[in-house]
Amino acid sequence: MNFDYLKQKRILLVDDEQELLDMVVSILNEDGFQNIKTAKTVSEAVTVSETYQPEFAILDVMLPDGNGFNLMERLKKAADYPVLFLTARGEDDDKFRGFGLGADDYMVKPFLPKELLFRVNAILRRSYKAENPLVKLRDSEIDFERAEIIKKGEHISLTAKERDILAALYRNAGRIVTIDALCEAAWGDNPFGYENSLMAHIRRIREKIEANPSQPVSLITMKGLGYKLVMEGK
Amino acid sequence: MKSVPKLIRRFVGIMLLSSLLLIILNFALLVIYTLNQAPNGSPWITAQEVADALSQNENGYVLGEDTALELQNTDVWAILIDNRTMEVVWQTEKLPETVPMSYTASDIASLTRSYIDGYPTFTGEAENGLVVLGYPKESFWKHMWPSWDYNFIANLPKTVLSVLAINIALIFIIYVIANSKLLKSVKPIVSGIQALSTNEEVHIREKGLLSELAVNINKTSDILQTQSRQLRKRETARANWIAGVSHDIRTPLSMVMGYAGQLENDVQLSEDNREKAAVIVRQSKRMRNLINDLNLASKLEYNMQPLSPERQNLIAVVRQVVVDFINMNMDEKYTIEWQTDEAFTSCTVNADKNLMKRAVSNLIQNSINHNEQGCHIFVRVKLEDNICTVIVSDDGVGATDEQIEKLNNTPHYMVCDEKTTEQRHGLGLLIVKQIVFAHGGNVLVKHSEYGGFEVDLNLPITM
Repeated sequence: MNFDYLKQKRILLVDDEQELLDMVVSILNEDGFQNIKTAKTVSEAVTVSETYQPEFAILDVMLPDGNGFNLMERLKKAADYPVLFLTARGEDDDKFRGFGLGADDYMVKPFLPKELLFRVNAILRRSYKAENPLVKLRDSEIDFERAEIIKKGEHISLTAKERDILAALYRNAGRIVTIDALCEAAWGDNPFGYENSLMAHIRRIREKIEANPSQPVSLITMKGLGYKLVMEGK
Repeated sequence: MKSVPKLIRRFVGIMLLSSLLLIILNFALLVIYTLNQAPNGSPWITAQEVADALSQNENGYVLGEDTALELQNTDVWAILIDNRTMEVVWQTEKLPETVPMSYTASDIASLTRSYIDGYPTFTGEAENGLVVLGYPKESFWKHMWPSWDYNFIANLPKTVLSVLAINIALIFIIYVIANSKLLKSVKPIVSGIQALSTNEEVHIREKGLLSELAVNINKTSDILQTQSRQLRKRETARANWIAGVSHDIRTPLSMVMGYAGQLENDVQLSEDNREKAAVIVRQSKRMRNLINDLNLASKLEYNMQPLSPERQNLIAVVRQVVVDFINMNMDEKYTIEWQTDEAFTSCTVNADKNLMKRAVSNLIQNSINHNEQGCHIFVRVKLEDNICTVIVSDDGVGATDEQIEKLNNTPHYMVCDEKTTEQRHGLGLLIVKQIVFAHGGNVLVKHSEYGGFEVDLNLPITM
């Protein structure tokens, strides 16, 4: 799957430390992001965003002339786009406040470049889906838009639950997703006691996506823990 | 407040018991005293005995020797008045001269009831007349006038009992009135002392019998409150200080970590230099963990970390931590094995999910940190006797018995300022303990069956 189109997104970066701004810009540049504008205060951020029209913002919580939560509210009034908070305040209440207002993620300083890039890419992938989001697997392709599998030219439709489960696995492709997280994705907030149903659904998904369902290569079982979706080329 | 009714019951009990004892004691004393009086207390009987002992022969009347002796010893005189003549027909030797020698019917009635010339007289019926004994003056007090209504005497037992009952009731009422005031002033003091023990703020009305006590309790409460306020203030200051320092370190450390991370992956750098950058990254990560730990540990210690417990499936929480570690692409030297029974899918506890995850990941991180040569880590959740246990163990270097004993029983230097010279260990396990204690559970450190280190987290399940 090619995510190059995401690298073109306009990113707004707000932090009161020039050196931190420089560093984050360099991290993002190195990963291929081209369009980055920075601001050091709330007012500067508001002014910049009027002409720049960002598609993604990385905000510090503590700014000289206000806080990042209020800034996010002001920015989101103009246009709705994903926001990642970057802050030195690790307290939980801040975290909840940020998410409550519609932040997409939250990172506590200090962080490693790969941690930042992982989150930025994940948010962008989630928020800006490709025009034709065909997901390539070893033996088939998933078309989430139409909720179907294309295997050897044949179109097989997915049920709503199967689509939810596959989507949760795809969002975390290459990583294990726990049984509990998959149940929650399919059955909602109180996902107790669905483990057997989940197993049945996984079996049916394998029949649709795998060439040999009894020896799966794309949807791998991690015994006792969960499942992993292996993408082609990953 | 169980103590005041108990106190009242005790008081009333003592009071009733003491009045009862008093009555019994009085009664006993009376009986003993009356019994002591009895031998010389029946001149009527003596008079009758004299009458019976008097016999008639040709020379007149003769008194038995024993009786005569007894009369003589007690200084008593006696006469016999003949029924027909109303004259004295017999007399003892020492008869006072003032005693008349003939009597009329009214004289008889009078002497029976009272005295002859101040001598108390008692009569006994002889065969032909009346024996009259005269005791020494002022040896008896004769009182023959009063007479009682028959019903009064017949009802006497009832009357005595009623009087007794009224007495007891009266004592009781007096007692209650006298004590209610005392109890009234005791009650707030008792509740005040009880509140003191729970470190509540106490202010009792400083009036009544025990006002002095109340003043002292109020003073004590004020001192305690001031002390705990100061302590809280100091604790808050300490926690805030730690929070402030850790906050201020984050931004500069971001720069160190960020650039070092970039250099580590910079293909233009020599292998040697990239390795140096990798060391900076590793050490900055350690600093980051330390900052996070320090902040959380101090907040947990001073109860400043708000707990948001919800019903959680502990298995799901632990599973997520394990998966997060695997997804992090750990070094291949470390493997994590999930050993929870597959049939065991749900174990509900009331817990703060984030803190619980933190506790379990601290344990896994501990195994990694202490086994640089690599190790297998085993994670298991089990349920026994309504206690849900999370077991994190490894086959690494483990610890000595002494170290394990210490980890189980010695307070951490952050919570105990004694023995500060000893070598300090990390905050990881302290945080685990703090979190588990905050959830009403306990932590057990021991040797692992795989040869390394094992920590068990025991948590009560929620029904």
